Amino acid sequence: MRHLVGRHAFPLAVGAIAVAFLTLFFLLPLIKVFGASVLDSTGTRFTLANYVSVLSNPFFLTGLTNSLVIAVAAAICAVLTGVPFAFCLARMAIGGKAVLLALAALPLVLPSFVSAYALVLLFGRSGIVTGFLQSLGIPFDSLYGAKGIVAVYTLTLYPYVALPVIAAFKSVDGSVEEAAQNLGASRPRVLRTVTLPLVLPSILAGGLLVLIEALENFGVPFVLAEDRPILSVEAYKLFVGETTDNPASAGVLGVLLVVCTVIALLIQRAVLARRSFSTGTRRSAAVMPVSVSARRLGAAYCWTLVGLALVPFAAVVVISFLRFSGPVLQGGFSLDNFAQLFAHSYRPLTNTLLLATLAACGATIIGVPIGYIVVRHRSRLSALIDIVATSPFAVAGTVLGIGLVMAYSGGFLILTGTAAIMVLAYMVRKLPFSVRSAGAILHQIDPSLEEASVNLGVPPALTFWRITVPLMLGGIVGGFVLTFVTVASELSATIVLYSGQWTTMTVAMFQALEGTSAGIAAAAATVLIICTVLPVALVYRLLRRHELSMM
Amino acid sequence: MTAITIDRVARTFGSVRAVDGVSLDVRDGEFFTLLGPSGCGKTTLLRMVAGFCELDEGRILFGDARIDPLPPHRRNTGMVFQNYAVFPNLTVGDNVAYGLRARRVPRAEMASRVARALKLVQLDGYAQRWPHQLSGGQLQRVAIARAVVIEPHVLLLDEPLSNLDAKLRVEMRGEIRRLQKLLGITVLYVTHDQEEALAISDRIAVMRGGRVEQIADPRAIYERPQTPFVASFVGTTNLIEGTVRSRAGDRIEVAFGGGIIQARGEAAAGAKVVLSLRPEALRLMNAGEAPPAGWASLNGTLGEVEYLGPVTRFAVTLPGGALLRLMALAPPASPGASVAYDPQRVVVMGATS
Repeated sequence: MRHLVGRHAFPLAVGAIAVAFLTLFFLLPLIKVFGASVLDSTGTRFTLANYVSVLSNPFFLTGLTNSLVIAVAAAICAVLTGVPFAFCLARMAIGGKAVLLALAALPLVLPSFVSAYALVLLFGRSGIVTGFLQSLGIPFDSLYGAKGIVAVYTLTLYPYVALPVIAAFKSVDGSVEEAAQNLGASRPRVLRTVTLPLVLPSILAGGLLVLIEALENFGVPFVLAEDRPILSVEAYKLFVGETTDNPASAGVLGVLLVVCTVIALLIQRAVLARRSFSTGTRRSAAVMPVSVSARRLGAAYCWTLVGLALVPFAAVVVISFLRFSGPVLQGGFSLDNFAQLFAHSYRPLTNTLLLATLAACGATIIGVPIGYIVVRHRSRLSALIDIVATSPFAVAGTVLGIGLVMAYSGGFLILTGTAAIMVLAYMVRKLPFSVRSAGAILHQIDPSLEEASVNLGVPPALTFWRITVPLMLGGIVGGFVLTFVTVASELSATIVLYSGQWTTMTVAMFQALEGTSAGIAAAAATVLIICTVLPVALVYRLLRRHELSMM
Repeated sequence: MTAITIDRVARTFGSVRAVDGVSLDVRDGEFFTLLGPSGCGKTTLLRMVAGFCELDEGRILFGDARIDPLPPHRRNTGMVFQNYAVFPNLTVGDNVAYGLRARRVPRAEMASRVARALKLVQLDGYAQRWPHQLSGGQLQRVAIARAVVIEPHVLLLDEPLSNLDAKLRVEMRGEIRRLQKLLGITVLYVTHDQEEALAISDRIAVMRGGRVEQIADPRAIYERPQTPFVASFVGTTNLIEGTVRSRAGDRIEVAFGGGIIQARGEAAAGAKVVLSLRPEALRLMNAGEAPPAGWASLNGTLGEVEYLGPVTRFAVTLPGGALLRLMALAPPASPGASVAYDPQRVVVMGATS
C-alpha cells in the first residue's frame, strides 16, 4: 500500500472527474425531471396527483400505448428483416459482401427523421408517388401513423440487429454444427436446434436495442405521427408549452419514458449476462453449400434491404436539387433550395460543425479515460462508473434536455440558451460511444505491452502516452467520428435546448418541416447527409474495424 | 549481475494466499527456475520482483539494496513476457532501443548497442522490420534482445517458450541458456514444464499453493525429491504409502498393502512414509530370473504393455491392488510378473502433505 497515491492517482482522478460530470449533467437533470413529476404546483409538497392526472387522461394513455406498441413492432420487424440478412451475409457465398456490410452500417449514422421526411415527400398526402398513383386512378392510403413510423424504424434500425448477429453467426463453432449433422440432423434441423439457439442472445440484444432507440426517438414520430400522441413528442410539446407550459406533466411523461427504456435495458443486460455459450478455440463455421437459386435469392434479398434503407436518403438528395414553389414541385434542377436555406446565414451549418466538434472532443476527453480505467483498473468504483456512463443510451434526448433546462435555468449555474448546455447534453448522450469504443480497443491491447514499457524504465504516465495512446488511436478516432456524426444529426435534445443564435442544421430542417417549403427541408437534409457520410467515408477503414465491437 | 534475495514474501488476492511466505536466494549469475503447476504463485512471485505486484509482507533485495519499495520502472530488470509484448507500433530496432531511450543513452552508443543486441539473438539486419513481419520465434528473440540491451540487474522470463512449437522450444531454450552464460547474467525463469526446468537451470524451486516445496539443482530435484508432490510433479513416478516395519542402520523395511519394500533411510519403525519408485529404476524380470546382486523384488501380475518406440512401458498390479508403472529399453524375452528394484534408489519421504 506504499504506492497508494502514485499508483492509484490516475484512476482516482479519472473517477472523480467522471463522477462529477455525470452527477452534474446526467443524474441531476434526471432527478429534476423526477422531482417535477412528484411535486405539486407550488413545487414544495410531494404528490402523485400529476401521475393520476396524466394516466387518467386518455390522450396520454394512448400516447403511452402508441409508443410501446410501435417500439415493440419496430423491434420485431427489425429482427425479422435483420436476421435473414445476417444469415445470408455470414453464411452464403454472395458477392460484394464488403460493400453490403458498409452500406448496411450506413443507416446508423444517417439521421432517421430524414428517412421519415423522405417517406412524406414520396408517399405523403401530397407526395410524389402518391400523386402519381392517384393520377393513374390507383387508390393509395398515405403512410402517416404507426405503419409509416414502424417502416422507418425497421429500415433505419435493422443494422442494430444485423451487425451483431452477423458476428454471432460467424463465431458459431463450425465443428458443433458438423457434430449435429454427423449425429443425423438435417441442415434445417441443425439451423433450428444448434445454430439459432447459439445466436439467440445476439438477436435479443439487438432487438432490445432497437426497442430502446424507437422509444426515445423524437424526429421520426414528429414527422410521421401527425395528431397521434407519442410519448417523446408529447413530453416536448408539454414542456415548451405549445398549449400551456406544464413541467409537471412533461416530467411525468419523461419519467414514464425513462422507466420504459430502463426496463428494456435491464432485460437486455439480463439477456447478455446469461450469454455463456462461448467455446474456447473455434473453427470458423463453413459457408453453406446452397443451390444457385437460393444463393441468388439471398443476394437479391440483401441488396433489396440495403437499397430500401438507403433509397429515402438518395431520394431526399435528388429532391433537394429540384425546383419548388412552396410545397409544390415545379420540376427542373436548381440550387434554389440551398440558396434559400442559407439565405439568412450559414450559422446553422457552422453551428452544427462547431457544436459537433466540441461535443466529440469533450466526449473523447472524458470517455477515453473512463474506458481505460473500466478495462484496466477493475474496482467497484469503475464498475459503477461504467454502468452510469453507458446508461444515457436509455434516456430519451428530450427528457435529458428538459432535465438540463430545469437544472440550469437558475441557481448556481445558468446555462440555458448557451452553446455550452447543448454541448454538455451531446457529451452525456454520446459518452457511451467513446467509453465503449475505447474499452473495445483496449480489450485488444495486451496489458503486458504497457508492463514491458514500464519494465524498460518508462514511468506509467509516459507509457500511457507513448504506447497505449498510439495503439488506441484507431479506436479513439473511430469513436470521435461516430460521436461527431451522430451529434450532427441529433434532434431530440437539440430541439429542447437550442436558442436562436445556436440553431443547428437539424433545427433548420425541423423549422422548414413545420413551415411549408419542402425544398428547403430537403436541402437541409442533404447538407446533413453530407455532414454525416463524408467524415464516415473518410475514416471508413478505421471504423470498419470497430463498429462491430461497439455494438 | 546481482544476487536476488526474496525474504518471507507474501501476497493475498481475496481469500487466496497466492504467495505464502516465500524465502529464497538467487546467486549472482545463476539460472534460477520457479517451477510449478498453474496457480502455484510462480508468476506472481516473478511479477513481485519486476514490481507489477505489490507485497503484503516481506522484502526483496538486489544485492544489498532493497528494491520492493521502488516502482517497476526504476528497478532495472529486463523482463521477457509470455506473449513477447513486442510493441506493434515500433520497428524491431525501435523496440530494442526503447529502454535505452528511457535511460537517455547517447544516440551513437544506442545504435551500436542495439546492433550488438540484435546480433546476439541472431537478428542482425532486422532493425528496420516491423513486428508483424516476424515469426513467433523471431518475436521471442526481439523480446530477449530488448530485455538484455539495457544491461539489467536481473533477467526475468515468464514462461517465454510456451507459445512456441515443440521443436523451436527446445532450440530456443538452448539459446537462452547460451546467452545467459555468455552475459553471466542472473536469470529468474518461470515455467510449468518440468523437462524445460531440468534442462536449463542451475537450481530449481518447485512451488505449490504459494509455497516452496524444494530448492535444489535439477539432479537432486529429480533423484532426491523431498516431498511426494515434487516426486510426482517432476517426471513420473510410483508413489506408495506404507509404514516402516523395521530399521537396521540405514536399511529400512516398509510394509504396504502389497507386501514389503526395502529402502535406505532414517525413518524410525512405525513411521508413516511415502516411497517413490521411478519407472526407469524398476526392472521387469524374465520368468524365473533372479534379481541382480543387492536388489530386491516384488511379485505381481503383468497388466498392459505399451510399446513406445525407444522404450516399452509395463503396468504391474501388486497384491493388494497397488499399480506399478515401469519402463524398459528392451522388453524382456519372456516377461514374468516379478519386478526387481534397487533399494538404494527408492526415495523415502515423510507422509505429511
